[in-house]
Amino acid sequence: MRKSWIPVGILWLSYSVLMMFAVANFSWLPAEWSEEAHVVDSAMLLLQYLGAPVMALVLAVMTWSVIGWRDKGATRQDGENIHGHRGIVTGWLIITSLLAIYVVINPGFVGLAEIRGEPSSDHVITLHGQQFAWSVEYENGATALDELVVPADARVRYDVMSADVLHSFWIPAFRIKIDAVPGLTTQAYATATREGSMNDDVNLRIQCAELCGPGHARMALPVRVVSEQEFLTYIDNLKAGG
Amino acid sequence: MKYVARGLVLAVTGYLSGVALTVIINGNGATDELAVIAGYVLALIGWLAGVGGIEAFGRQWIGKTPKVSESQGWKRYFEFSIDHKVIGIQYGVTLISVLLIGGLSAMIMRIELASPGMGVVDLDDFNKIVSMHGILMVAVAVAGVIGAFGNYVIPIQIGAADMAFPRLNALAYWLLPPVAVGLLGAPFLGAFNAGWTSYAPLSVTNDSGQILFNLAIITFGLVSILGALNILVTVITMRAPGMTWGRLPIFTWAGFATSLLAFTVTQFFAAALVLVTMDRVAGTAFFSPDVGTGLLYEHIFWFYSHPAVYIMVLPGFGVILELVTTFARKPLFAYKAVVAALLSIVGLSVVVWAHHMFTSGMADFLHGPFMILTEAISIPTGIIFLSIIGTLWQGRLWFRTPLIVAFGWLFNFLIGGITGIFLADVATDIHLHDTYFVVAHFHYTIVGGAIFALLAATFYWFPKITGRMYNETAGRIFGIWVTLAFNATFIPLFWAGMNGMNRRVGDYPAAFEGANKFASVSALILGASFLLFVGNLLYSAIRGPKAGPNPWNARTLEWLVESPPSQHNFHSQPRIVGHPYDYGVEGSIHAHFPDEEPHAEEQREEVTV
Repeated sequence: MRKSWIPVGILWLSYSVLMMFAVANFSWLPAEWSEEAHVVDSAMLLLQYLGAPVMALVLAVMTWSVIGWRDKGATRQDGENIHGHRGIVTGWLIITSLLAIYVVINPGFVGLAEIRGEPSSDHVITLHGQQFAWSVEYENGATALDELVVPADARVRYDVMSADVLHSFWIPAFRIKIDAVPGLTTQAYATATREGSMNDDVNLRIQCAELCGPGHARMALPVRVVSEQEFLTYIDNLKAGG
Repeated sequence: MKYVARGLVLAVTGYLSGVALTVIINGNGATDELAVIAGYVLALIGWLAGVGGIEAFGRQWIGKTPKVSESQGWKRYFEFSIDHKVIGIQYGVTLISVLLIGGLSAMIMRIELASPGMGVVDLDDFNKIVSMHGILMVAVAVAGVIGAFGNYVIPIQIGAADMAFPRLNALAYWLLPPVAVGLLGAPFLGAFNAGWTSYAPLSVTNDSGQILFNLAIITFGLVSILGALNILVTVITMRAPGMTWGRLPIFTWAGFATSLLAFTVTQFFAAALVLVTMDRVAGTAFFSPDVGTGLLYEHIFWFYSHPAVYIMVLPGFGVILELVTTFARKPLFAYKAVVAALLSIVGLSVVVWAHHMFTSGMADFLHGPFMILTEAISIPTGIIFLSIIGTLWQGRLWFRTPLIVAFGWLFNFLIGGITGIFLADVATDIHLHDTYFVVAHFHYTIVGGAIFALLAATFYWFPKITGRMYNETAGRIFGIWVTLAFNATFIPLFWAGMNGMNRRVGDYPAAFEGANKFASVSALILGASFLLFVGNLLYSAIRGPKAGPNPWNARTLEWLVESPPSQHNFHSQPRIVGHPYDYGVEGSIHAHFPDEEPHAEEQREEVTV
């Protein structure tokens, strides 16, 4: 019984270290363009660190199953009659419960508060989704169909509506998403942190993320982040031009 | 075959008369949705009557003795047989065929997605193929293990001669072919393009194929509910003497838990689809933006469809636990805790549905509670993993194909579980929802959790069901091949989703081409592995060496009778005298049969000594 603890423990530690090293050094995540993106990515990173030892444990057991516990001589004898172990089951329950509680608090509620907590904004932009295009309406009444222009370093509230079926307003670079629901106005908040456009990053786009019909895949709109001053000029010109 | 032919004739007659009646009364065309509904309902009744309902039920209504198929050999699989073993095989063959059709649709999707832009299909057809793939595979995952092996194995494991309601069992199975025909026939009415989820209002306004989807899925719900009812009553009332709840084999426990869930929640999906149907044909406005509420459909739908994930996966837990204990030659670790975990999953699974709706626009105060409850479900799931680890620990593992596939299951479901945490967390889910991350995640849980269990179960019980052994080398190659190819297909899709690729799209930005190309090539290799699977099983079912009653040296009742079991499973009523998993206890037995000489085992031992 005891002798398996050592190799499995060593495997567990090595896998955990390897995986955490991988998490720390190879980022899977796309570039961040908003404060919300940073919150989401930090949560994503934390969950990867927490997941690593859990995954490592099962992998260690699987590895040692093949190396150490395989019935090599094909003796077909039975193993030990171990039905369970109250201490281990209780300990496991406590540890997994604590992990779950921890994850609920951080990144759970912490992230929730940061992403959706504060209903204040510097600007309001309204998005109208319909099969299969987005139209943008700015606070001065100006509208645009070709792109969404967003001020940097200002908190923007996006009011999202739909004229027909469900759509979903998603800007991957900002990591925010909210469905467009016919009959409702839904809201999302984002603070862009740097200037750029879809030429810099394909994720600076609004992408419809809810299956809405034949044109769903291409229901996208470029996003351009500019300085707040440029933004105000842009919407003024847009209004004058319209 | 003559009953199937009669069923088909009556179905076609029913369909045509339903359509004709509606056309006469309503004056609309033959593809009017009301006409399709009337046609479908009459076709369904005609089919059931034709395949054997007349003899099995109708005769009783006019005071005669009901009759069911008494045939032996190949014929009985095409007749209204009430033998649970025949029905289990009918489910298995039907659903594995559907699995292969669903797999082919996935191949078309992956070929299209190998590069950006549209190649083999157009955008709308792509969505229709996605929707078809989704619903076919959901049906296989919901009914695969429980329909095939639940039916075949559970009555034997508890020492019963058949299910509690054998005729109902047959009726439930014969409702299944119309589901397949309805779904696969939908393209004649423009198919359905709203995904397997069929969110309203898109599902209210799309092509008429949606009506066939609704009717087929309501029928499928009936299959699920009737099957679940049967298993519940069977396990409660038909256990052999001495088969206490504490001695119930774990696969039976898992089937019981699954049935509790399926029996309770399946009607919600049907209800949602009835409302959609009424919005389409009866002028109601449940999901109309002006009158109804846009989130109503999602709530009703997920109230079934999240528990449905557990309807798919719980039988998988049962299969894997059963296999691990057999092939590790050790008792199931923490049996009672596992049972408690299965039942708490049943309870928790009905209160987590809105985690599919974190970005739906529902009230923000709902986020917290649904996040807590969702994270809580990881605790009982953790117990299942603990039991697997504890059972493997210091075991004497016999790495035959079922265990190899079970290891594939373990790895896949582990990834599925861990990535699930990312989707339970509101902040990360807001980004990941409706992306390829979700696609990869649910393929890891559903293919990883349910389909791999179906494959493992097929190898495990194949010698019992056919009496012949599959080819072990081909089995092992398949087990490793399918696991590697599956992972190569879906790992890159986690990356694609996290990096901004949304799901259900036939076209995507060029930035995601690399990951998609890799996934597409891997998917074709994955698809090819099933040729080996099917080839091995078909060949071995006819030419394989005789397997004997108990090739795995397992202890549960199905292994204590001949392969395949006799018509009523047991020649005499077994008595259960011990735990099913007492590996490693000298001389322990699970059951003995009165027709065997008492203490036959001990006598034999004395002779050899």
